[in-house]
Formats: sequence, structure tokens, C-alpha cells
Amino acid sequence: MNTGTQTGKLPVERRGGFSRKFSGIIEPYLYVSPALVLIIAVMLMPLILGLSYAFRDIRILNPFSGGFVGTAHFEALISDQAFLDALANTAWWTFGSLLFQFGLGLVLALLLNRQFLGRRLVQALVFLPWAVPTFLSGLNWAWMFNPVVGPLPHWMTSLGLMAEPFNILSDPDLAMWGPIIANIWFGIPFFAITLLAALQSIPKELYEAASIDGATTRQQFISITLPFLAPTIAITLMLRTIWIANFADLIVVMTNGGPADSTQIVASYIFTQAFRRLDFGYASAIAAVLLVLLLAYALSVIALRRAMTHTDS
Amino acid sequence: MASIQIENARKSYGAVDVLHGIDLNISDGEFIVLVGPSGCGKSTLLRMIAGLEDITSGAISIAGTVVNELQPKDRDIAMVFQSYALYPHMSVAENMSYALALRKTAKEKISDAISGVAEILGLTALLDRRPKALSGGQRQRVAMGRAIVRKPQAFLFDEPLSNLDARLREQMRTEIRKLHRRLGATSVYVTHDQIEAMTMADRIVAMHDGIIQQVGSPVEIYDRPANIFVASFIGSPAMNFLEGSYEIADATTAGIRLSDGALISVLPVADAKPGQAITLGARPEHISIVADAQSGGLPAKVELIEPMGLSTLVHVTLAGKPIKIFTMDRPDYPVDSFIHIAFDMAKIHVFDTASEKRLPPANAAGILT
Repeated sequence: MNTGTQTGKLPVERRGGFSRKFSGIIEPYLYVSPALVLIIAVMLMPLILGLSYAFRDIRILNPFSGGFVGTAHFEALISDQAFLDALANTAWWTFGSLLFQFGLGLVLALLLNRQFLGRRLVQALVFLPWAVPTFLSGLNWAWMFNPVVGPLPHWMTSLGLMAEPFNILSDPDLAMWGPIIANIWFGIPFFAITLLAALQSIPKELYEAASIDGATTRQQFISITLPFLAPTIAITLMLRTIWIANFADLIVVMTNGGPADSTQIVASYIFTQAFRRLDFGYASAIAAVLLVLLLAYALSVIALRRAMTHTDS
Repeated sequence: MASIQIENARKSYGAVDVLHGIDLNISDGEFIVLVGPSGCGKSTLLRMIAGLEDITSGAISIAGTVVNELQPKDRDIAMVFQSYALYPHMSVAENMSYALALRKTAKEKISDAISGVAEILGLTALLDRRPKALSGGQRQRVAMGRAIVRKPQAFLFDEPLSNLDARLREQMRTEIRKLHRRLGATSVYVTHDQIEAMTMADRIVAMHDGIIQQVGSPVEIYDRPANIFVASFIGSPAMNFLEGSYEIADATTAGIRLSDGALISVLPVADAKPGQAITLGARPEHISIVADAQSGGLPAKVELIEPMGLSTLVHVTLAGKPIKIFTMDRPDYPVDSFIHIAFDMAKIHVFDTASEKRLPPANAAGILT
């Protein structure tokens, strides 16, 4: 009887053991699968699809397009002067905006970190540019630069910066400054708020100890404030560089890449290629190049940061 | 090293007065402890000496120079903060040398000074470390080292031991005292811990509500507290207080009649009239447990027996008031039983209930006044 029950039970146990083992392996994947499916569906698939367009001839108005063209788009890119100009403009646009956004944002953060009447109100107001849709900010700034309806050209004439009021957005040499100024206005709050948060995390006693040790305000800034801000500065600069390089809204609204492509950046060039010329294949190839460039930039910044923190410890 | 004079120093934040006219003379090389509950103004006073807070009115001078308008860096003082305030991105050596480097001291001089101080504080092996790689006690030492390296006129300590555990605190207490003896530097030390005040101070300055309540040596403050606040704040376990009215028996004995009619004998005091409202103060070690009422004991109900190792604390109620009694015996009275307690007549403090001031005994011969 004993052996009978044992032999009767054994296969059942073995089967149970196997299915338990199997379900043990599969179980965690089942738990994460909804998230995985979502990520694959909304992030990975479009990315792969977009990258695949770069190697295909996809023109919306040509029903016969859609074939595989290999690296033809990339070969065309190398000799596309408009693209090369857009690359140079992207660098100008990105670093021109970034430098002033960061510099003025830091100054604003330092000012907001002081005690003064109505500080909370001002801190809230600083966020205001973010509450305005970019599209509207772009239109507003475009109007402000317009001498017919906007005050800026008249002010600049009064200050002696212009011989007579004219629209800088229509001057190929100056047009890029229009969206850059709008972008600076738009980007300062980001730096001001993140740097202010970092500033407020610095213990007050450190400044007191330093002032007793004999440090002047400037020395305190260099030996306490900057080292404390460094990690925040590194990460925000990196994020912001990538965001600005991809950020074509203001340019599209204010200058539409013109005059004479003088404000065309890679992101707006992609927009132009895809939605004006309806050449999705070529636009995807440009996007792929931009992706690789930004990835390379991010990786080098991360490597630099790691090297710095490594020598740090 | 220098003396520090504080004359009628006041501090207000808007309409709120934090310090109401502080007068204090700290002599050269003295170790002064400012003690009081939180919010009494002791840290504010220290920060005014350091130059981290403005002086609303009055004058503070260090080594004979009025420093009211001087920047902290020009006062030649060093401060040890409760949080240590070490520069987190600098090594121990850099932390300690920062002040000297700012003064453009020669490199060799700096490294000599640092190795000397590191030797004294046992930090030699840690000089290359960052503060975050140090234990609380080590950080505390670095903060001290940073102060010592500069050879300032005076050291200011703002509750430097509050963040340490009890054992380490005890150890650092003695170390700071030894260091003070070795360096002989004028020191002002702020604490809310009356044990630190008692064990470390040359003189204690007891503060409450922005007013100095009493200045004196630890023994003076303990044995002759100026008022009820000082009496209750200094001493652990704290002094017992009972309220009653003053009665005169004869030339050598007076008494305090408690609310329940019991009479506690005290030495006559000069400034009390019969019937005056009196608060009687008796330290737990000045109350003894006696056999019965015949030996002059008052009946008291046992509430709790608290063994402390070395001694035992007996909690009783007398005339409805809680009383703690310190004894070296090992009593085992059941809770709610009655025992008889007697007060040491010569050691009892008599306070005027209205003014809260201590009334010294009339005949001073042979007893504490």
C-alpha cells in the first residue's frame, strides 16, 4: 500500500515540480509584461519604424514610393549644403541659448535665494514663461520684433543699437537672435528653479564657517556654492543641450527656418523635409543622424562626469 | 588669547526682543558655559560674539576692541558648530587649512600647523579623507582641529556634542577640557545640557528668556541657585519644589506650612515675613527616608522605585506634590505604601514664590548662604 501510493504520487510530484519551475521563470515576466508591452508599443516600435524609414524611399505624395534604398539618403545628406548649414545653425542655436539661459538662470537663482519682501510671489512668477504655450510665446516674440506692432526695434533704435527700426527676423545675419532671445526667456526658469533648489540644499552653517574662516563672498561662492551646484549644473546642462537641440517650435513659429534658411536647425529641417516636402524617408535619415550625434554627446558628458567624480573620490 | 566684554548687549528681531541687555565679562583663558533651555538666547549671544548676528544695541569687545561693526573674519575667533559645518568636498587636511590658505600663510607653515594639530587630535591617519568617510566623533574632532589650527583669540562652541551618542559625548567632554587646559584659550561654550555645563565650565552663565539668571562656578550655581529657574534647571535628577507659607518658630528655626498642614523646618531667612508665600526647594539627595514620624519624618506615598545602578530614585507624593528622593540604599517599598521622609534643614532652599528669588538664611555661620 505504501509503495503503491508512493509510485502513484511520484509522477504527479515531478510534473508539479516542473510546472512550478516553469511558472517560477515565467512569473516575473508576466508581472512586467503590461509595462513592457506599453514601452515596446509606444517607444521601441516607433523608433525602429522611424529608423527603418531612413533606409526606404517614403514620399507621401508618391504612391509608388516605399522601396528599400539602402544608404542613399545618408549619401545625399553628406553633400546636402542645407543640412550642413543646419548643423552649424544647430550648434549656434543650442549653445547661444544654453549659455545665456544658464548664466541668467544662475544669477536669478542666486537673487531668489536671498531674503526679500514678496520672494514667494516672485518665485512663482518666475515659472510664468512655462505656463505659456510655446506656440504663443513664439508668436508674441515675433510680434515684439516687428517694428509695426512691437516695441523692441524702437527701443533698440533709441538705445543706439539700430540705425532705424527694422525686423531682425528678416535679416539673415541677425534672424537667429530672435528665436534665441525667445528661447533664453523661455529657458531661464528651468535653470533658475533647479539651481535654486540646489542652492537651498546647501547648509547655511557652511557659509558661516567660511565667513569666520575669512572667506570673502566671492571665495565662498567658489569654494562652497560652486562645488555644491556642480552635479546639478552638469546634469541640467546636459539635459538642456539635448532639449534645445531638438526644440524647433520657436524657430518654426517665428522664422520658419528663414530668411533664406539662415535659421534652419536640424530639428526644423527635419520638420521641413517631413511635413513641407513630405519626404519622410529623407527626414528620417536626418533624424537618425541627429539621434546619433546627441547620443554621442550624452555619452561623452556622462563619461566626463564619471571621470570627474572618480578623481573626486 | 583675549578677554571678552559684553556690555548691555541687546538683540531684537523686529518687535521681538531675544536678548534683554546682557552684561558679561569673560576673562582671558576662561572656559565659560552658556546654559539654558532652547530659546533662551544663548546661541544668539554666541553668534553675536562671532559676528554672525548683528548687535541691536550695546557693545561686545574682544581683547579690548569693540567688534560690533567687524566682520566675523576680522574678529579673530574660531567657532565649532553643532552640525560641524565641515566643507564636504574638501579633505580633512583641506578643511583644517582653509582659513590659513585664505590668509596666504606659507605652505610649509600650514602643513606644520596641520600635522601638529592632527597629532593632538589623533587625526593624522585621516588627513586625506573626506568628511563623509568619517564617523560622528571624527568629524567633531576635525571641526575642533579646524578651529585650533588658526590659533584664534577665542573659541566659540555651539552645542558641539549634541549630535554624538552618550558615551562619545562623555569622552569628548573630557577631551575638550584637556585641550582647553593645554591651549589655555578663552572659550565660550553653549549647551542645553546641564551636565556638560557642570563638568566643563570654569563659570556657568545660566540664561532664561534672554536674561542672565546667574553667573557662577558650577558648585556655586548648584549649591546657591539664585532663583527657582536656576535651581530647577541645574541638577539631575531635578530639585523638588513644595509650596507653602512661612512661619517663625524661634530664633534658630522657622518652618514652611504645606497645604495639607504639614510643617517642614527650615533655617530662618532674613527677608521673609510670617505668612509669606514660599517655595521650598530640596535636592533629591537632601531628603532622607526615616523610620517613622517620631524621627521627624512626614508620611509620603510611594509611587515608583527607579533603580539607577549606583543609586536608587524613590518617587513619592507629599501634600499632593511629586517628590524624588535619592538614596544609595536598595529600597524595595511596595507601590502605594507609605514611608516617612525628612528634609535636611541646613540644605533646604527657600524661594519667595512671588519673585522666585532665593532667600538666603539669616544666620550665615557655618552653613551655605
